[in-house]
Amino acid sequence: MADKHLQFLDIPRKEPDKLALEVRTTEFREIYSQYSAESAAQQAGRCISCGNPFCEWKCPVHNYIPNWLALINDGKLFEAAELSHQTNSLPEMCGRICPQDRLCEGACTLNDGLGAVSIGAIEKYITDEALKQGWKPDMSHVIRTPKRVAVVGAGPAGLACADILVRNGVTPVVFDRYAKIGGLLTFGIPPFKLEKDVVEKRREILQEMGVEFRLNVDVGRDIAFEELIAGFDAVFLGMGTYTYVKGGFGGEDLPGVHEALPFLISNINRELELEKDAAEYIDMKEKNVVVLGGGDTAMDCNRTAVRQGAVSVTCTYRRDEDNMPGSRRDYKNSKEEGVTFLFNRQPIEIVGSDRVQGVKLVETRLGPPDRRGRRVPEPVPGTEETIAADAVIIAFGFLPSPPDWFERQNIGLHGNGRVRVSAAPRYRFQTTNPKVFAGGDMVRGSDLVVTAVFEGREAAQGILHYLGLRSALSA
Amino acid sequence: MSIPHTAAFNTSLQGADPRVGDWGLCAARYEKDSCGFGLIASLDDKASHWVLQTAISSLNRLTHRGAIATDGKTGDGCGLLIKQPTAFLKAVAQEAGFTLAPLFAAGLVFLSRDAAQAGEARRILTEQLKVEKLSLAGFREIPTDPEACGSEALKTLPIIEQVFVNAGSDLDEATFNRKLFLARRRAEKILDAQDPVFYIPSLSSSTIVYKGMVMPQFLVQFYPDLKDPRMEASVVVFHQRFSTNTLPQWRLAHPYRYLAHNGEINTVQGNRSWAVARGPLFHSPLLPDLTDILPLVSLTGSDSQSLDNMLEVLLAGGLDPMHAMRLLIPPAWQSVDMIDPDLKAFYEYYATHMEPWDGPAGIVLTDGRYALCTLDRNGLRPARWVITKNRHITIASEAGVWDYAPEEVVEKGKLGPGEMLALDLQTAELLNTQRVDELLKSRHPYKAWLKKGVRYLQTDLIDPRLAAEPFDRDTLALYQKMYNVSAEERDEIIRVLAEDESEAVGSMGDDTPMPVLSRKARSLFDYFRQQFAQVTNPPIDSLRESIVMSLQTQIGREANIFVPGQHHAEQIVLSSPVLSQRKLRQIVALADSGVPNEFIDLQYDEHLDLKTALLQICDQAEAAVRNGKIVLLLSDRYLVEGKLPLHALLATGAVHHRLIATGLRCKCNILVETGTARDAHHFACLIGYGATAVYPYLAYQTLFDLMRKGALKMEAAARQELGRSYRRGIRKGLFKIMSKMGISTIASYRSAQLFEIVGLGDEVVALCFEGSESRIQGADFDDLKADSQYLAKRAWDLSVPVEQGGLLKYMHDGEYHMYNPDVVATLQAAVMTGDYEQYRQFAALVNERPVSCIRDLLKLKANAAPISIEDVEPISSIIARFDSAGMSLGALSPEAHEALAIAMNRLGARSNSGEGGEDPVRYGTEKNSKIKQVASGRFGVTPEYLINAEVLQIKIAQGAKPGEGGQLPGHKVNDMIARLRFARPGVGLISPPPHHDIYSIEDLAQLIFDLKQVNPSALVSVKLVAEPGVGTVAAGVAKAYADLITISGYDGGTGASPLSSIKYAGTPWELGLAETHQTLRANELRHRVRLQTDGGLKTGLDVIKAALIGAESFGFGTAPIVALGCKYLRICHLNNCATGVATQHNVLRSKYFIGLPEMVVNYFKFVAQECREIMAALGVSNIADLIGHTELLEILPGETPKQRKLDLSPLLANSALLSAKPQYCIDPKNEPFDKGVLGEQMLRDMRGAIDRKSGGEFAYQISNFHRSIGARLSGEIAKRWGSTGMSAAPLIVNLKGSAGQSFGVWNAGGLHLHLEGEANDYVGKGMAGGKIVLKPHVNSSFIARDTIIMGNTCLYGATGGELYAAGRAGERFAVRNSGALAVVEGTGDHCCEYMTGGVVCVLGTTGVNFGAGFTGGFAYVLDMERDFVDRYNHDLIDIHRVSPEGMGTHVQHLRGLIEQHVDATGSVWGAQLLNDFRSYIGRFWVVKPKASAIDSLLENLRRAA
Repeated sequence: MADKHLQFLDIPRKEPDKLALEVRTTEFREIYSQYSAESAAQQAGRCISCGNPFCEWKCPVHNYIPNWLALINDGKLFEAAELSHQTNSLPEMCGRICPQDRLCEGACTLNDGLGAVSIGAIEKYITDEALKQGWKPDMSHVIRTPKRVAVVGAGPAGLACADILVRNGVTPVVFDRYAKIGGLLTFGIPPFKLEKDVVEKRREILQEMGVEFRLNVDVGRDIAFEELIAGFDAVFLGMGTYTYVKGGFGGEDLPGVHEALPFLISNINRELELEKDAAEYIDMKEKNVVVLGGGDTAMDCNRTAVRQGAVSVTCTYRRDEDNMPGSRRDYKNSKEEGVTFLFNRQPIEIVGSDRVQGVKLVETRLGPPDRRGRRVPEPVPGTEETIAADAVIIAFGFLPSPPDWFERQNIGLHGNGRVRVSAAPRYRFQTTNPKVFAGGDMVRGSDLVVTAVFEGREAAQGILHYLGLRSALSA
Repeated sequence: MSIPHTAAFNTSLQGADPRVGDWGLCAARYEKDSCGFGLIASLDDKASHWVLQTAISSLNRLTHRGAIATDGKTGDGCGLLIKQPTAFLKAVAQEAGFTLAPLFAAGLVFLSRDAAQAGEARRILTEQLKVEKLSLAGFREIPTDPEACGSEALKTLPIIEQVFVNAGSDLDEATFNRKLFLARRRAEKILDAQDPVFYIPSLSSSTIVYKGMVMPQFLVQFYPDLKDPRMEASVVVFHQRFSTNTLPQWRLAHPYRYLAHNGEINTVQGNRSWAVARGPLFHSPLLPDLTDILPLVSLTGSDSQSLDNMLEVLLAGGLDPMHAMRLLIPPAWQSVDMIDPDLKAFYEYYATHMEPWDGPAGIVLTDGRYALCTLDRNGLRPARWVITKNRHITIASEAGVWDYAPEEVVEKGKLGPGEMLALDLQTAELLNTQRVDELLKSRHPYKAWLKKGVRYLQTDLIDPRLAAEPFDRDTLALYQKMYNVSAEERDEIIRVLAEDESEAVGSMGDDTPMPVLSRKARSLFDYFRQQFAQVTNPPIDSLRESIVMSLQTQIGREANIFVPGQHHAEQIVLSSPVLSQRKLRQIVALADSGVPNEFIDLQYDEHLDLKTALLQICDQAEAAVRNGKIVLLLSDRYLVEGKLPLHALLATGAVHHRLIATGLRCKCNILVETGTARDAHHFACLIGYGATAVYPYLAYQTLFDLMRKGALKMEAAARQELGRSYRRGIRKGLFKIMSKMGISTIASYRSAQLFEIVGLGDEVVALCFEGSESRIQGADFDDLKADSQYLAKRAWDLSVPVEQGGLLKYMHDGEYHMYNPDVVATLQAAVMTGDYEQYRQFAALVNERPVSCIRDLLKLKANAAPISIEDVEPISSIIARFDSAGMSLGALSPEAHEALAIAMNRLGARSNSGEGGEDPVRYGTEKNSKIKQVASGRFGVTPEYLINAEVLQIKIAQGAKPGEGGQLPGHKVNDMIARLRFARPGVGLISPPPHHDIYSIEDLAQLIFDLKQVNPSALVSVKLVAEPGVGTVAAGVAKAYADLITISGYDGGTGASPLSSIKYAGTPWELGLAETHQTLRANELRHRVRLQTDGGLKTGLDVIKAALIGAESFGFGTAPIVALGCKYLRICHLNNCATGVATQHNVLRSKYFIGLPEMVVNYFKFVAQECREIMAALGVSNIADLIGHTELLEILPGETPKQRKLDLSPLLANSALLSAKPQYCIDPKNEPFDKGVLGEQMLRDMRGAIDRKSGGEFAYQISNFHRSIGARLSGEIAKRWGSTGMSAAPLIVNLKGSAGQSFGVWNAGGLHLHLEGEANDYVGKGMAGGKIVLKPHVNSSFIARDTIIMGNTCLYGATGGELYAAGRAGERFAVRNSGALAVVEGTGDHCCEYMTGGVVCVLGTTGVNFGAGFTGGFAYVLDMERDFVDRYNHDLIDIHRVSPEGMGTHVQHLRGLIEQHVDATGSVWGAQLLNDFRSYIGRFWVVKPKASAIDSLLENLRRAA
C-alpha cells in the first residue's frame, strides 16, 4: 500500500475533465465535469494537513479547507457540506468562480512544484453532490425571532447576509430589481463558468431556510427606501458596482464599442430566455473582436465572444502577463479557446468613422511601483500601432453607483462613491445610518465574489449585534 | 503548608543578603543536592578509632563527588554520623565538669552568634527537656578551628556546642530517645520563627553527628574531637554533599539524624503533603500524642531532611529501620511477576497507607543497633561494598575508597535496585535483601488480611456500552461546547488515544500564547505546566523500564500503621485511576454494602461568585466526611441551564486542601466525574491535586459518537474495546508524565502538585492549589468565571456549532500562532530577496503582534541619548553570539543540515550538530558543525566526533519535550543515517529519557570532566529547559564546571514528540533565564559561565530583550529553518515534509528542497542589523553592556483583564547588593578543580608514541579519584589518527588498583587498557576502538565470577572496541551499545538496553529486564539457573538455544570469544567453560532482535567490521 502521507507525490493533481475544445467553444455549458466520489477522495487525500494551512489563511472567508478535505477523503460528504457552509454561504459558486490559483490553491504548500490540492473543484463537488443527495442546511435549532431585515440586492453579499440572518432566527426579505437572484452571479458571470440552475438551486435552499425574495422590485423606484426603514428592524445594502470605468480616450462612443456588463447581460438574457427584445442582444458572430482589459470580466467577455462565433478575439492588457489580475485558469482557458493576448499594450484611441474599425495601441513598459506596490505601466513613445476591430468590448472595471436616496437617508460615502462603514468589531459594516448596514462591492469597490460573501456574512453579525441577538457571544 | 511565593527583592529587608531567602525568581526551596556517601562498620560492633579515621579518609577520596565554592575552600558540606563514642564523650564531659548518668545522650547544637539569641535557644531547649523530665548535664564548648573554613562558610559559621542530657534511672534507652525526640522537636517549633540558625544535628543516646560546611580534607581540622584517639566507634556513616546552590547552610550538610542520602526524592512534595494529612492518624502506644510536634516533617529545605524526619517518626513509633525503610522506599513489586506472594502482600498492605518516597536514592543509615544501606527501585545510585579480613564492612558510592590490600578482601559486591544490606550489630548478623524480606513478611498474616479485606473490581475486557446512556447529538454538542472540546481536540487527541492506544504525536513547537496571555477562553488545565526532572534527578524510561511503574490505586479509609490489623486492608483496589462507567457504578453501588459516598454537584448558580461556590462545595465535602462518607464524588455531569459548572480541578484542589487543613483527608477518597478530563495531562492535574480516580464521561461520549458516525478507523472487534483502548492511551500518558519527574507509582504522584502554574492569581492558588509554584500572578476567580460564562452562553445556544479548534494548528479566528502563515511568508520573502525592507515587514509582524509571550509585555525604555548607528558594534561581532539550536541529521535532511552548517560557519557563528552524529567527511570543511551535541542516545558520539568541535553540548532537556526521550521513526533511518548512528537501516532508534550516566548533579560533573579530558580545548555547554528551580540547577551545573549554559523555553521545536508534551511542559524562557541569571549572580558564579537562551527567537528585538534579561548568547532553531524553506507544516514526524527540510525521502529532498546557505546568512544579518538599530536607539554600543540591565525594560500594563493582573516584577528584580557583581562571563574557561594529574602524566609519557604511531607498553598505579583515565590519550589519538586509525600500533597500558569513574571513556583504537583490580561506573563509555581488560588482583581470594568488577552503565553508547572483564558488571551494562564486543561474567539489571549493534557475551547471571529496546547486534547469555526467560524483556527480542546442530558458526564464534576472554583476563571461570565446553554449550542462549534473522547475525558482524 502506498504511504498515505506521500499521496501528494504518488498521485498527481488532477482537475475534473474539461469538455472537448470543439464542443465547449460552441456552447455555454460549464466546461468542467464533476469528480467521482473516488477521485474526489483521492484528490482530497493529497492534502498534507499542514500545521500552517496557508490555504485557509489566504481564503477571504477562511474556509476550513484541510478539515473538509479530510472529511471528503473519509467519504463524509454531508459533514463536509455542513462544515463548508459554516464559513461560506455560497460554496458551490466560490468553488466554480473563485480565482483559486491566486487564493487557496496558490497558497497551498504543494503549489511549489508538487501540484496544489484541487481545492476549488472539491469545494464545488461537496455542495453539488451533497445537495444532489438530499442534504440541506440543518435549521432545526434555529429559534425564530420576530425580527425582520430587508436586504437590498440578491447578489453574493446580500445572499450571504440573508443566510447568516436566517440561521440566527431573523427573517431576511431580499429585494432585487431583476427577475432572478444572484446579481452578477447570474447576469455577469457567463454560464460556461456557472450554470444558472446552480443559482436557482441556491434560491430554493434559501427559501426553504426561510429567506423571502421580492424579485423584480427596484428599491427606490418600485418601493421607497423609507418604507424599508420603517417596515424592517434593519436594512442591509448589497447593491454592487455598476458604473463602468471609462478609458478616457477618443472613440469610446463609436457604435460597435460596448461596455462589458451590458454585453454579458444581454448574452445571459438570451440564454435564460429572459430577453424582452431581440435588439437587446449584442452579437459578436463573425466579428473581429478586441477586448480591452485583463481582469476576470475581460476573460468572461473573451470567452463569450468566442462562443458567439467571433472570427477572432484579441485581448489587450497594459501590464505584462505576470501582472494580469485575472484568474490564471480563465486566462489559460481563453487561450485554449483561441483568444489572442497582447500584453504591455495601452489603448489610446478607438479608430473609426461611423463605427469602430480598429484600436490604436501603444506599447508600455513597467515603471516603479505605486503606493500599493503595483508597478505602473508607462507608454513607450513611438510604438503606436492600430489593430483592426469590428467590435470592441471595454472591461476596465466598475465603480459604485450610489442612488440619490443615500444622502436623504444619511448614508455617508467615501470620495469615490464607496459606502462608508464602521470598523468597530461589534457593529461591523454599519453605515452612518445606524439602522443600515452595507457590504460587498459597493463598500470595498469592485472585487471578488468571495469577498462580497465575506462582507455580507460579517455585516449579518453586525446586524445581529445591533438587534441585541449576539452581544453575549462575543469573546 | 506555607506558600513561599516569590516577592521582588526589597533592599530594605533587614540584613538582606541576596543569597539568603527569596528574591526575584530565586528561592531557597529549589535547592537540590547529591553526593558521595558511605559507611564503615565493625561486623562485631567493636569500636575503634581506626573506623573513624578510615571513614574520614574515605570521605576525602570522594571529594570529586562534592562541589566547591568560588572561594576554593568552602565545600557544600560533609559530615559523619557516628555510633555513640561513649568513652570519649564521658571523658570530655568529665573534663567539662558534667556529671553523666549511666544512660546519657549527646549531640551538637548550632547556635546563633548573637549571644542573646543563643542564650534563648539554650534556655528553651533546657526547658523542653525538663518537660520530658530529662535533665541537662551541660553545654560543652566544643573545640573548632575556623581556619578550616572557606570565606563563604565563615559568613554563616554558627556557634557550635555539645549538649549532654541524662536519663533518669527508670528510663529504658528507647523511651529516653523518644523523649529526646519530643523535647527537641518542640524546641525546634518554638525557635523556628525567631532563630534561623538554631539546629540540632542529632541528640541521641546511640549516635552523634559531626558535620559542617567544609571540604572533607578540612573536617578533622575543623572538629579536633575527630582526631582524638579516644574517640572510638563501631559504625560511622559519612557523606559529602554537592549542592546545586552555594547558599551556605550549615544545617543542610549530611548526615541527618539517622541517614545520609545520595540522590533526590522526586516525590517529596507529595510525601510532605501526605505527611501533613496523616499527622492526625498516627498514634502509637509509644507516641500517644503527636499533635504538638506537627508537622512531622520539614516542609521546606532538603528532601533528605524530610525523609529523615519521617524515618525518625516511624522509628519513634516502634518500627525498626529495616521495616521503616521498606515502607518508605519499597522496591518495585506491583509489576514484578516472580515475587513471593507473602512478600507481595506485605508491600501491598502497607501501600494502602503509605506512598513511596521515590526517586534516585542510595541511603546509608544507622540508629546504633543497625547499620544499613538501601537503594530505591531504580537503583540509580551506586553502592559498592567490601568486607575485609579485619572484619569490617565498607559501603560507599565508589569502590576503592580506602587502600585495603587485594588479599585482605573477603567478599565484595554492590547493591542492586530495591536491595538492602543491613548489619545487626547486636547479633552480628549481616542481612541481605532476601533475609530482610523474610523477616518482614512473616511478622503479620498480611496475605490473609488482604484476602479478607480487599475487593478487586470486576473488569470486562469488552465494554461495548462505553456510555450506558449515549448523548444525542445536541446534548453532546452542548457538553462539548461547555467543556471546550473542539473538533480539533476530538479528532487529533481523543480519537487518536482510542485508535492508537497512545498519545498523538506532532512536531515543531508550541507557538501559541500561554492561557493567561490568550484572548480565548482556554482550559484551566492549560495554566498548569508539568514539572520534569533535569540533572539533579533523572526521568525514568516508562516504556523500556516498565517493571518499576504502577498505577495501582486504592479506595478506602486509611488507618494508623503503628497498629497493624485486618481492618487496614478494607480497600477497593483498582489497576488504574482512569475509571470506566462500569467501575464507577460498582464503586458507588458499593455504598449499600458499606462504602458510603456523597455526590457533590459542581453546578452552581450563575449569580453566585466562584469563590463562594467553591467554599460551599468544600463545606459540603467536609460535612460529608465528618458524617463518615468515604467516597466524595465530585461531578459536573448534570448541566442545568442558568447554572455554571465549577471546574473539576478547582473543586478537587479546594476540597483536598480543606480536608488536609481539617485533618480529614485520609478518611476519604475524591472521585471525579468530569467532562473536563480528556487527555493524560488533564488526568495528571486532577490526580496531582488529590483525586483518587477520574471518570471522563465526555471523552467516552465523544468516542461513542465517533464510533456511531463511523469515523473511527478500527476493526469492528477493536471498536468493541474502544473505552479500553482510550484508557490504555491515557495510562501510557500518565506513565510518561510521572516518569518525567522520575516518579514510578501513581500513589507518590497523587497530590504531589508537580506543576508550575503560569498565570493564576494568588487568590486562586491559595484556595485550590496551595503550595504550587506560581510566580507571576494572573487570572482571578472573576476571570475564570467570565470564561465559563462565555462558554455556557455558546453551549446553550444550539445554533452555535462546536468550535473547530486552532490550538494545535493555525486556524482563522482560533488561537494566535506566532509562526502563522504571514510570519512564515514574510520571513521567506525577505531572506530570498535579501531585501532588508522586506525583513522589516517580517519584524514588524512579529514585534507588533498581539501580546503572545511574556517579553511582549516588556518594552524597551525610551532613551534620551541615542547614538549613531556607526558607533554600534558591527554585525559580525553580534552574529558571533548566535548559535543554531541542536537539530539532528535525521530530523533534518542532510541538505538542510549542511546548508545550516555552511551558513553558520560563513557567518562566524556556530551550528549545532544535534544528536545524530555527523559524517566525518564534513570534519575540517565548512560543513562541520562547531557545536557537537551529546544527548541521551549518544548516537555517533565517537572520540573523533568530539575532538572536531569547539563546543560540546550536553542536551539534558529539550524545550518541546523536557524529561522525555525521543524516537527516530524507522522510515527516517536510511542507510546514511544508520551508518552515522551505528544502527540498522529501517529500524527505529530510541533516545532514552535520561542520560544513563547522569542521575545526579555529580554525575553531570563527571560527564563534563570526561568531555574536557577527551577534548580539552572545547567548551562544554549544558542545555536545560526553563522550569522553577532551573536557576539553581544551573548554579549546580556551573559548579560542575560547564562553560556554557543554555536555558530553553517551552516553545522549542521538535521533529517528533507527543502533542501533550509540546503543549504542557516547560515554561517561558523569560522566567527561566531571569531566574538563572539572578541565581548565578547571587551565588557568584555568573562570571564563570556563558548564558544562552533559545526558544522562539525571531527578531533583533527578541535578542535585545533576551540580553537585557541576562543572556549573552542566543540560540535559534525554527527561524533559520524557515529561512531554508520550512513552512511550519508540523509534519516532520511523518517523513513527508513537502519542503524537503525535515525528511529523508529522496524525491522530496532532491527536488523540493530550495534552501541555500545565503538565505540563512541573510536572515542572521538582518537580525543583527535590527539589533544594531535598536542599540543605537538605546544609546548602547555593545551587547555586553545590555546583559542583565533590566532597568532598561519597563513592564507594559497588558491588553486584557488577565494580562493586566500579571506581576512581572520578579523577572526584572535586581539586587543593589549585587550591583558590583559581573553580569556576564569573564573567565575564559571554567576549569575543573580536578586537574586530571594522572591523565596528564600518561599523555606526557605517551605523546611521542602517539605522534610516531609507534605504540608501546606503560604501567601505572591507579586509585578511585583518578577519573576518566584514557580519555586524554584517546582524544590525542583521535586528533591525529581518527577514532580507529592507530589500531595497528597499540599503546598497552597496565594499571593496578581501583580505577575511578569513566575508565576508558571514549577509548580510541590503539589504546589498550589492562586493569588489575576493579573499576567504578562508566567503564568504556562511548568506546570506539581499542581494548579494555579488567581482572582481579592476583592475590584476591574471592570468587571472581561472583564478584563485581565494574560499576554501572559501562559501554554506554560504545561504537567499537573490545572489553573483557573477569567479574560481574553493574546495572545497565552495554546500554545503547552500538558496536563494541564485550565478555563479562555476569551483569545487573537492564543489560543491553537500547542496544543497536555489537556483541555482548555474558558468562553468568544477568539481572532483570535484559534487552529492553534492543534493536541491533546480539548477545550470548549463559543461563545456568534456567531462569533467563523470566529475566529478559520480551518486547523486541527473542532467544534461541545454542546447539551444535545447525548453529555451528555460533558455537565456533562463542568459543572464540571465550578463548579471547581467557587470554586477556586469565579468567578461571572462562577456562573452566572451555575445558568442558560441550557440557555448557546447551546452556547458552543467543539473544537477538526479533527483526533480525539468526543466520544474518554473524554476517552483519563481519560486514560492520
